[in-house]
Amino acid sequence: MVDLAMHMMDIVQNSIRANATKIDIGFLENKQDATLTFSVKDNGSGMAPETVAKLENPFFTTRTTRRVGLGVPFLKMSSRQAGGSLKIQSEPGAGTTIEAVYKTDNPDCLPLGDLGGYLVLLLIANPGIHFSFQYKIDESEFSLDTKELEEQGITELSKNEMAPAVKEYINENLKELYVNRNRESYLC
Amino acid sequence: MAEIKTLADLKRKQEEVKTQIDLRDKAENPGSQVQVKVAMATCGIASGAKNVMDFFVRELPKRGIGAVVTQTGCMGYCFAEPTVEITIPGKDPIVFGYVDPRKADEIIEFYIKQGELVDGIIPQNYNTINQD
Repeated sequence: MVDLAMHMMDIVQNSIRANATKIDIGFLENKQDATLTFSVKDNGSGMAPETVAKLENPFFTTRTTRRVGLGVPFLKMSSRQAGGSLKIQSEPGAGTTIEAVYKTDNPDCLPLGDLGGYLVLLLIANPGIHFSFQYKIDESEFSLDTKELEEQGITELSKNEMAPAVKEYINENLKELYVNRNRESYLC
Repeated sequence: MAEIKTLADLKRKQEEVKTQIDLRDKAENPGSQVQVKVAMATCGIASGAKNVMDFFVRELPKRGIGAVVTQTGCMGYCFAEPTVEITIPGKDPIVFGYVDPRKADEIIEFYIKQGELVDGIIPQNYNTINQD
């Protein structure tokens, strides 16, 4: 995993496998504390505390096709390398929230990568899931909610033909938002 | 390319491609569409499955092929990622390994368009002759 967008795709796949119908993705930058909090919240099947305790073990997986499960351990590694932390909260039947904190004043903080590109692929591959994406730098924010867009008449979000347009829409808005960032921040 | 920054721009773009989408949807029912599944678990993502999926999403409509592009989990072929499973209507699914945009181009041109097999097939589900 070389950027946060890859982590986003990876962690969201876990939510999809847990049969989530609503997935909230959040990137919250706090300029004062120099932190970036990346979170994924879903309403999927959730996990028992015993399972949550095993999650950070790279040799734990529920799959039968292979014996390792590296998604969450990688996220933990990359956040810890940047002086951050990882928190997982889950309740059977209610869903899971995973939260990784990165220190943006740490040179080891991962770059964001192509958030728009990955998000579009998620929308195309999962038309039935209600995605809500939010990027916030202190007070300024950009958000995208598939239900809200639908209400405003944009109904073809998950069509291949719309992909370049949606990607451009997200990335252009994010670019504008990034201007608010501190100069000392290593995030890019 | 026109800049797309507001919801209005997005809507305008939707109108533009709407006729294209309608035409395609009318011409083919979902059962007759090619299915492209890109493996997107940790292993796939780390080996660049995004570029491959991007390529399919961009090129298939451009080349006039009605297809559903989706993601799947890991099929246990982590060594051969990125892997892609292609189902042509009426045929068994076939898994291709070590796919990059160049390989994906080959798959579209030869396998999807003409039904010719290309290198890199992973024998995931195959039958032997003396199977009961």
